[in-house]
Order: sequence, then structure tokens, then C-alpha cells
Amino acid sequence: MLIVGTIPNKDVPLTIGPVRLEGEFLVVNGQRFARMPGTGAMISAALITTSYLELEPPHVLVIGDIGDIGEKGTRELYDYLIDKVSELLPGVLALHYCLPIMPLMKELCKAITQCSRRPFMIADAGALYAAKGAGLAQEFDLFTPDLTEMGFLADPEAAHPAYVARHLFDCEPQKVPELITVAYNNKDAAKLLLVKGKIDYIASDGKILAKIDKPDIPALEAIGGTGDTITGLVSALIYAGFKPHKAAIVAAKINRVAGKCAQTTPATKVKQIIDQFPLLFKEYLHQSDITPENNNTAT
Amino acid sequence: MAFLKQKKVAFKGDGIIIFQDVAQAIRAEKLMKRDGYEVRLIAPPPEYRVGCDLSLEIDLARLAGIEQLLKEKDATYVGIFPMMKGTAELCDIIKVTDFGQWTMVRAGNMKLAFDKNSGIIVNSSGGGCPDIPYLYAELVDKPLTEAPRPKDRGSTLCAVMLDRAFEVCLSLWQGSRK
Repeated sequence: MLIVGTIPNKDVPLTIGPVRLEGEFLVVNGQRFARMPGTGAMISAALITTSYLELEPPHVLVIGDIGDIGEKGTRELYDYLIDKVSELLPGVLALHYCLPIMPLMKELCKAITQCSRRPFMIADAGALYAAKGAGLAQEFDLFTPDLTEMGFLADPEAAHPAYVARHLFDCEPQKVPELITVAYNNKDAAKLLLVKGKIDYIASDGKILAKIDKPDIPALEAIGGTGDTITGLVSALIYAGFKPHKAAIVAAKINRVAGKCAQTTPATKVKQIIDQFPLLFKEYLHQSDITPENNNTAT
Repeated sequence: MAFLKQKKVAFKGDGIIIFQDVAQAIRAEKLMKRDGYEVRLIAPPPEYRVGCDLSLEIDLARLAGIEQLLKEKDATYVGIFPMMKGTAELCDIIKVTDFGQWTMVRAGNMKLAFDKNSGIIVNSSGGGCPDIPYLYAELVDKPLTEAPRPKDRGSTLCAVMLDRAFEVCLSLWQGSRK
């Protein structure tokens, strides 16, 4: 599995390698970064999952980027990936925080077609924006949008969630299935959707496969990184060999229960949620869910 | 408890300034507002979009003054044109949720939460651009009155929306102190 994303520290150069936990920090090839919202939280959730399952840790490709358009962070990240993806050949490729630059996403998807084995493609955050904006949603196997990003996927005119039509943005959780239908009809959804929110929806080809609404922990919405942790969990479970929709259901459940166990308030930090995961894995992760035909553990 | 704030009547212009990136647009907006020009942040038409884009709606009757100001302040832009088809408005939804000791404000796709007793920012969530984790580190655990404005430190549309949430949080906090 290869996780790709930006780190909010301009001093981090382009770095690739297996990730490990060292105290409170994630370490890749000598570069340290925090388990904070964004790519750090996503990697942290994935790593804690692979550790429990005794799998090789995720490989990550990261670079420092704080959003300056003129700076080279995201661009350098994509350039490297476009050039090397056919050599890296990840079983699962999870794209996360980055500037949504549509031309780069187009080049990457073109490069993926040259791979001898197509990776399982996951996008969240800026990568999801770029994929939908570029009209490439269907190249992806899984998107993990939150409620507002689901509105974005359902709005054919919007190039970024900040431009979503008012009626789509202001949608109640019960109406998400309508947005899912619209997004699939417009070909703006990945093969599988895990919509994160007050109610988590798992959908494929326009059909709702599962709806998870318990336990209801409203404060999770306020906590930065709790969407990133679901993406990290589901990515690692797919890498482990869970069927994708099963991985999505389990990830959504674990995240909610972790929120409950952490006695979440709006002031809770995401690492407190992540620290609950190992306590829940025994109950929610079963060897019987790991099927050899779904095994993605190459890289 | 959650409620939506009312939509304000927005300025309507007949011209548009196109920029290379969001940071240029944010800077120009600040300069122009400081000099009393009415402007509005909008999406450029599709032919000028690459993914994270922002332009400014302006009143063309004031073109000469605007050009002069941007030149004086060395503010860069691609061009100034009559209003084009295909522009879009930034999402203007503001939703406030009361969590007892904490208040969360959502502006479009971004959320900011603060402690009602101390005015300290306790979390920010939403978004997908690289400056959002950076702004999290810059804002969280700081008092609203001392934290930097997201628009001053960020460079993307997500930062613009986070700034709107920040503005409402600050207003609610200051209002509660009176």
C-alpha cells in the first residue's frame, strides 16, 4: 500500500518509505511528522491497523506543502508519482491531502493505465477534489467524502466544494442517498463511496449497501482528522484483504465506537480517537473477513 | 442546536479580475476592500479553472482606480474583463451548532469550534487543501482574539471558507462578552 499526501511543514522534502511510529511522531526515512489532522492522521490510522494485523507497514510518499500555489510541494509529489508509479506498483494507492490540480491528476491517471497491474485506487481530500473536477471519478475504486464533499460530487458544475450549490450543501443526512444517485448518474462517483457524516453511507453503483448511524457521536464532526482516520482505516483493511464494502462498514463502525470510548467532546484531539482503535480491533476485525482473492499486500 | 444564518444581499458587479492562483485573489481583495472598493469573491469561468481557483467580481465603472491600486501595490493578476458566463458564487452557508460548553461554526465546507468560556479555538475540521492541516496547527489551542486570520496565512479556497467560519466565531465570542 502506498499513501500519498502533503505534510504541513515546508521543510519536509519529498520522502518515500515505510512508516513507523516513534513516540508521538510518525517517521519515514528519517523525516518526522505529527499525528495531526490531514495526511498524518490518515497514515496513523492505517499504520495502527496494519500493526495489529501484523502486516508490512504502509509505504508513504509525502512532501512538505502549506498550500502556496507557487510552491512546488504538490507538483513535485505528483511528478514523482507519475514517473514512478509503474515501478512502485502499489496494490493499494491512497491519495490524500494535496492541492487539487486537475491537469496533474489527469497525468497520473494516464500513468496508471501504463502499470502492469492496476492498483486499488482511493481518493480523499484534495485528491478527491482533483479527481472529480477532472472528470476522472470513475477511474477510482473508492472515494471517502464527508457530507459537504458528497454535495460537491453531486453538483456537476462545482470545481471545488467551496462552490457547491446552496441546496446541495444544505442537505440533511437523510437526503444523502439522493446525492449519491445524482453523483453516480453524472459519473462523478468512484465505484464505491464511503460517505462520512452523522449517518455513514456505503454505496456502490448508485445503490446503498449499508447505513451506519450508531453510536451517534455528534461531537466527532467538530474534530479535525476524524474523516482522515476513517480513510486510513478503510485503506488498510482493503490492503489487508477485506472486501472493499466490508472494509468500509468496519472502518465506519470502529471510528464511531472509538469516538464513544474516547468520551469525545469538540475539544478532543484526533490522536485520542486513534489511540482507541487497538482496543476495538479484537471485536471488529476478524481473520475470516480477510480473503486471499482480495489480498492487496503487494507493496 | 443548529441554525443557519441569513444570506446577506451581495454586491453585484459587471467585471471580473482573473488571477493565477487563490493567494493572489485573496491579496487583491484585501487591498481593494481597504481602499473602499466593493468586490466579491467568485469562481472564474471554466476555461480559467485548474482546481483551486478564485476571482474577483468588480464594478467596471471603477476600473481605472482599481488598475492603479493593483499596480501601486504590485498585485499580480492575469487580466480584467467584462463579466463572463460560467462564474459561480462561493457557498455562503453559515451554520452554528451549540455543543454546550463549545460552539461550532460551519462555513461551507469548513468548521471551527471554540470554547465559550475561554474563547480558545479547540478544533478545526473539513477541507482537503494542504494549508488546512497547517492552519490547524496555527489556530488550535489559541484564543480567537490572538489567533492569526486563516485568510492571512492560508492560500486556498478552503482557507477562505475557514476564514469565514473564524469571522463568525470571533463575532459570537465578542458578542457574548458584552
